[in-house]
Amino acid sequence: MKHFIIRRIFSGLLTIFLVFALNFIIIKAAPGDPIKTLMGKDNNDPVLRAALEEKWGLNKPLGEQFLDYLGNALKGDLGTSIIYNTSVNETIAKKFMPTVLLGMLAALIALVIGTALGIYSAQHEGSLGDTLLSGVSYTLDAMPSFWLGLMLIILFSSRLGWLPTQGMIDVKAGYEGAEHVMDVLRHLVLPCGTLALITMPGYFRIAKSSVLQVSNEDFIMTLRATGMSEKKIFNKYVFRNAILPTVTLFGITMAFLLTGVTLVEIVFSWPGMGRLTLTAINQRDYPMLMGLYLVMSIAVCAVMILVDITYALFDPRIRYE
Amino acid sequence: MSKDKNMKKSNATLRQWKTALRSDHQLQAAIIGVVILLILVITAPLVAPFDPYVYGDDSLVGLGVNGHILGTNHMGQDVLSMVIYGVRTSLKVAVISALISGVLGVLVGGIGGYFGGKVDVVISETINVFLMIPTFFLILLIVALYGNSLTNVMIVIGITSWPGNAKLMRAQALSLRERIFVKSAIAMGESKGQILMKYILPNGIFPVVANTTRGMAGAILTEAALSFLGLGDPNVISWGQMIYSGKAYITTAWWVSGFGGIATILTVIIFTCWVTA
Repeated sequence: MKHFIIRRIFSGLLTIFLVFALNFIIIKAAPGDPIKTLMGKDNNDPVLRAALEEKWGLNKPLGEQFLDYLGNALKGDLGTSIIYNTSVNETIAKKFMPTVLLGMLAALIALVIGTALGIYSAQHEGSLGDTLLSGVSYTLDAMPSFWLGLMLIILFSSRLGWLPTQGMIDVKAGYEGAEHVMDVLRHLVLPCGTLALITMPGYFRIAKSSVLQVSNEDFIMTLRATGMSEKKIFNKYVFRNAILPTVTLFGITMAFLLTGVTLVEIVFSWPGMGRLTLTAINQRDYPMLMGLYLVMSIAVCAVMILVDITYALFDPRIRYE
Repeated sequence: MSKDKNMKKSNATLRQWKTALRSDHQLQAAIIGVVILLILVITAPLVAPFDPYVYGDDSLVGLGVNGHILGTNHMGQDVLSMVIYGVRTSLKVAVISALISGVLGVLVGGIGGYFGGKVDVVISETINVFLMIPTFFLILLIVALYGNSLTNVMIVIGITSWPGNAKLMRAQALSLRERIFVKSAIAMGESKGQILMKYILPNGIFPVVANTTRGMAGAILTEAALSFLGLGDPNVISWGQMIYSGKAYITTAWWVSGFGGIATILTVIIFTCWVTA
């Protein structure tokens, strides 16, 4: 077990280092000049240029810049945003919680509902409900998250007027305490619903196929032959074996979920890292971009490793591979 | 294998295909869907009622007004014609990026699985690491920084989606190299490169081909997402672009974004049906 965890953490660290390097190479090799953006279009003063390059450390050799960046990041400093002139750490930290709130809540909802529906479909294979659910699952799988978001806005906000379309809180009302929580929840319904609906088909499919597969195994047949009740067989044997792939899927979908969160945040103007990314890209804010990508990659790696370890705890077969 | 045997084998597979086709409605639907898409690609200028690149006088008119069956967008372009021309863009992105990712995956995975040993350790660790990277964000970064031409978008999607294919190919190569026909080729003194190209890759490629079709569906969605973020190619008509440009008028003219999305969904469903069938 120890060996397994160490190996996973090692490959996680390797991934993060690779992300660092990729990040640095891509951004350094890209066309476009941040100094030019800072100086303005018509200004071409070489003294100002030299001063700005000195200030942001862009006049040093590339290798040194990379080591500087790596060293600073290890110390927990991701640099200063070129556009906002604020610390990248602080800016990202402010936007981190809303993204985690939205992403994790949607992931959990999708996990629970998707798995439950998958199990239902497997137990009633071929029924009308199963056919319907499978069809819906196919369609949702093919749907761009941002498009679904837009359609939900049309339906629930502009036609029915039930839910707010934008942001995380009602700025004008300035709620506090319990009302504040209710306000956030109201704003959370649409983005979180969109994200959960998009993520659900994966859980649905994997739960359905693994329940079907386990139900057909010989040991289940044997249990049936002993006359054990179907309910007991399911709860004690089928479910426990069939839930394992779902755990893996939870880890794998993390990166996918992040994509979804980014897009959905932009549709609903949710004040998280997704929107920050879009502004950083449009403004060519390199330190911010590198910081964001790094934080996201670390988050994904960490969750994946945690999921792998959980999985190994559940299923001893993995550990000894 | 003699020619006669080959013929027999292909006849048998043909027969299998025919029975599968007759019994499997999903496959039938997928084939009909792909044929329709291909016909639309070829005949787009004939089928489309308007030229989607022409800015007409009616802007944001609703369904059925002035012969615009699905309405127009804010620039007066006909939505139905845009949907039809969008098939070209989507299929182009899907096919080219899937091809790039397939070729890369097959080569990397094949080499890793066949050569084994240290090469394989390095390659499989690389595959694992690349599988952990949040790909979409990488694509976003590259397209944003290097320019958003359609060519860039296709290449980037291709080179970021190979690890899945490589993993499949590696598993295939691992099992194929233990097979007798490969061992006899080794005994005959064929070189490693020859064996890889002549026996391992052609025999192990089928799961990758199936996975590539799934990759095509993914590529269409990724292109749409990039367009939605304003990172699509502005000179090309694509469904993602339609969703993006319709977003500003979503409360008054839902049809611009709406039909762009529906076209995307239908196309992706056709590809997924193809895979599962």
